[in-house]
Amino acid sequence: MDKKRLLIILIILFILLPLGLLTEYSAWGEWDNEVYKQMIGFIPEGIKNAKSFAIIPDYGEGSVIMYYLSALLGGAILFGFFYFLAKTNKHETN
Amino acid sequence: MHIPDGYLSPSTVIATYTLAIPLWVYGFKKLKQSLNEETMPLIGALSALSFIIMMFNIPIPGGTSGHAVGATLIAILFNPWIGFISVSLVLLIQSVIFGDGGISALATNSLGMAFVGSFVGYYIFKLLKGKKFAPFIAGWSGIVASSVIIALILGIQPFWNENGKPLYFPFDLETTIPALVGSHMAFFGIVEGIFTQLVYNTIRKKEWIKKDF
Repeated sequence: MDKKRLLIILIILFILLPLGLLTEYSAWGEWDNEVYKQMIGFIPEGIKNAKSFAIIPDYGEGSVIMYYLSALLGGAILFGFFYFLAKTNKHETN
Repeated sequence: MHIPDGYLSPSTVIATYTLAIPLWVYGFKKLKQSLNEETMPLIGALSALSFIIMMFNIPIPGGTSGHAVGATLIAILFNPWIGFISVSLVLLIQSVIFGDGGISALATNSLGMAFVGSFVGYYIFKLLKGKKFAPFIAGWSGIVASSVIIALILGIQPFWNENGKPLYFPFDLETTIPALVGSHMAFFGIVEGIFTQLVYNTIRKKEWIKKDF
């Protein structure tokens, strides 16, 4: 596989990230609780009682800078995870 | 397709975790075996790509939006277990840090988007070996299969109700199947297919293709 080209694709998509914020539409089924009230007249108990413990809710709730930082954070955690996993692997095989 | 917390009955949560945990353990072992200095940056970058591509919310007629997942791409470039574990990890980060998809729904979301997306995409790709548009068709099939799993699990939730009043996700299969599977067949599957084909064609080196096919 061509690492350089993969990196270029990642960088291009990263730059274009704000395009992902353009739509106001939620994904199907991932509505605000109020939407249930409008659609069926009540909010199901489970959905009403659900709590969110997210550190950065909704990737910064529409802020472009937070959207970029969210992507960087996500990418960094993923790379970090694979890096350390590969390291422990090396130790085990040595 | 990121089911939030509070949408699934406790029995569904337990059943899906019971199914997912052994698959995660086995897949994690497979991933560890494949990780070395050569594959680590590639698997890392493809996982980051899956994370980023899911941030491109695409609006569709009817007032909803969706996105590609990228599981099939990892599955056909490496193997489906690596696609499954990498995308599960993406879903874990999305759920814990960004509140995108519930922690109670992580097993469901992983089984649908990561496991089924990777394996269906992978086997369709194998079936079409050497065909020019195999990555497109594999990507489309993978995400459509994912949407079937998510629609099924969501659509049985009204079964848990109090005097007919649903306690969790309130819409049944008659609604979830056309809404989720239909939109993925018509729109997000096409996006996933184009994404899979473009990235596959761009990064796959010619000598690899000759060697494999």
